Amino acid sequence: MCLLEADDHLVQRHLFRREQENYRFIFQTLQFLLRFTLFIHQSSTMVLEATMICIDNSEWMRNGDYAPTRFQAQADAVNLICGAKTQSNPENTVGVLTMAGKGVRVLVTPTTDLGKILACMHGLEIGGEMNLAAGIQVAQLALKHRQNKKQQQRIIVFAGGPVRYDKKVLEMIGKKLKKNSVALDVVNFGEEDEAKTEKLEALVAAVNNNDSSHIVHVPAGSNALSDVLLSTPIFTGDGEGGSGFAAAAAAAAAGGVSGFDFGVDPNLDPELALALRVSMEEERARQEAAAKKAADDSSKQGKEGESTSQDATMSENVGASASESENKKDDLMDDENALLQQALAMSMDDPAATVTTRDTDMSEAAADDQDLALALQYSMQEDAKDQSDMSKLLADQSFVSSILTNLPGVDPNDPSVKDLLASMQNQPEKKEDDDKAPKEDDK
Amino acid sequence: MASSTTSTAITRNQVDLLDFIDWTGVECLNQNTTHPFQNAIKQGYREDEGLSLESDADEQLLIYIPFTQMIKLHSIVIKGPQEEGPQTVKLYTNREHMGFSNVTDFPPSDTITLSPDNLQGKPVVLKYVKFQNVRSLTIFIEDNQSGSDITKVQKIVLQGTTVETTDMKGLKKIEDH
Repeated sequence: MCLLEADDHLVQRHLFRREQENYRFIFQTLQFLLRFTLFIHQSSTMVLEATMICIDNSEWMRNGDYAPTRFQAQADAVNLICGAKTQSNPENTVGVLTMAGKGVRVLVTPTTDLGKILACMHGLEIGGEMNLAAGIQVAQLALKHRQNKKQQQRIIVFAGGPVRYDKKVLEMIGKKLKKNSVALDVVNFGEEDEAKTEKLEALVAAVNNNDSSHIVHVPAGSNALSDVLLSTPIFTGDGEGGSGFAAAAAAAAAGGVSGFDFGVDPNLDPELALALRVSMEEERARQEAAAKKAADDSSKQGKEGESTSQDATMSENVGASASESENKKDDLMDDENALLQQALAMSMDDPAATVTTRDTDMSEAAADDQDLALALQYSMQEDAKDQSDMSKLLADQSFVSSILTNLPGVDPNDPSVKDLLASMQNQPEKKEDDDKAPKEDDK
Repeated sequence: MASSTTSTAITRNQVDLLDFIDWTGVECLNQNTTHPFQNAIKQGYREDEGLSLESDADEQLLIYIPFTQMIKLHSIVIKGPQEEGPQTVKLYTNREHMGFSNVTDFPPSDTITLSPDNLQGKPVVLKYVKFQNVRSLTIFIEDNQSGSDITKVQKIVLQGTTVETTDMKGLKKIEDH
C-alpha cells in the first residue's frame, strides 16, 4: 500500500493530463465558436462617443411598479448602459447628472472610468421634480467641454416623472441639439401620460438626424427595465450590430439569468468562460451516467480491486470518488451536489474514455483515499456552483442551434458549423458509450 | 498654379488652397446629411451645380477647416443660389471647435456681406493683414439672402498663399554610407 500511495501523485498528474488533452479539443472548438460570435458582434460598433446620462431622481421614483422601485430599476439600467458604452470603445466617456432634487447636478463629468461612474450612483436622494429642459441643457454644456473633441455627443434621458414643459419648448431644445449635432435617447418609463409621451416623441423627432436618436417606451410590468432596454437601439447602436456586451447579456437574459453567465465571461476571460461552460456540459452528461452507474455499482462496492500498480491506484482513486459520489447521491437533493457528482463521475469516466489499452477495471475498491476524493470534489464544486440552469441550456442542442441561427453571419448549414455542433453532440454521447463499455467489462 | 477664377484684382500667384486643407479635421455643424459640406468644398463636387451644401435645423452654418500648414488667406469665393445663398458670413481664424453658442464670444477676423455678384462667383477680397498666419478657418454663415429656413451653398473657394514652412513629408532620412 505504501508503494501505491507514493505513486498517487504521479497518477493524479497523469490523469489530469489525459483529461486536459481531451478537453483541449473541446475547448478549441467551443472557443472558436464563442470568438466567432463575439467577433461578429464586436466588429460592428466602435463609434467614439461621449455620453451624458440624465437620471430622474424625483419623488415619482419611489413607486414600486418597476421591481424593486423605479429608482433602483433606473440605476440598474444606467449601470448597464455605462458598461456597454465603455466596452464598445475604450475611449468612450460617460457622465451622469441628476435632474430633480434641489436642482440639476452633475455627478460625474464624462470619464472613461467605469468605477467612478458606478460609485457616484450610490447615496442618491430622491425628491423634487424633474427639470427636463435644464437637465438637457446642462448635459449639452457638459458635452461641449469634453476633452476629446472627436467624440460624438450623445445624451440619454430617463424620463420617469411627468414633463411640465410645453411641446414647443421641447421642440426648440431638440432643434438646438440637432444643430450642435448632439444625439438624444429618451427612456420613457414611470408615469404614463399621453401628453408626456407626445411631448417626448416631439422632442426626439426634432433632434433626430438620420436615425441617431431614439425613444423607448417601457411600460411597468414583470420585465426589468434593463432587460427591456437591452434589445433597443440604445444598446445596439445605430446599425444592425451590437456590442459584445449587449449580445452576451441579451443571451443570458433570454436564458432566464440577468447579467452574464459566470460573471463578465466572454469579454474578460474567454478561456475561463469556456472551461466553466465545458465542465458544466460534461457534468450534466455525467449526471445520467453517474445515476446509472451508482445503481449498478452499489452491488460491486467493496469488492477487491486487484490489479497491477497503476491500474490499482487508478481504480482506487476512481473507486474512491465513485463511492463518494454514490454515497452522496442518496443524500442529495440539491442541484449543486448533483453537479458535483457529475464532476466526480467525469474524472472517473475520462480515463475510461481515453485509455484503450488499459484494463479499465472499474470495479470499486474500498474507499482508501477519502481525503483526495474530497479535495477533488471541492475543486469541482467551485466551478459547479450556481450554474445548473445554464449547463442544462447549453447542453440542450436545440437551444444552441437556435442561438446559432439567430446570430448574423453564422449559417447553420455551413459545414464547419455543422461539424462543431456534431462534435459537441458526439462528446457527451461518446462518453456515455464508454461508460457502458467498462460496465460490461466488469460483468 | 495660377488662380483659375475670372476678372478683377486676382493678384499675383494666389493659389487655390484646396490642396492644403486637412480633410480629416473638417467639420460642419448644422448641415443636412444628404447635402454635406463636401458638395461645396471638394474638387469635382463643387463644380457640379446640382450638388450643394444645405443647412438643416435653421439657416445658420458653421464650417471648420483646418489646414496642413500655415497659409495667408487673400480672398474667398462663395457661390450659391440667389435666394437661399448666404448673406452675412463671418470668418474666424485659428479657433478650434467653435459652436454656435460661442460665435458671439469673440470678434470675427472679418465679416463679409455677399452681394448677388458674389454669389455668381466674384471673389471677395479679405482684410489680408488679418489672415497672415492661418492654421484653421471657421466660416460662420449667419443668414441668407431671402431669410428662408435653409441656406444653400454651391461652392466655396479659398485663395491665398502658403507661408514658407517646412513640408515634413519632404524631409528624407540621410542615408548612412
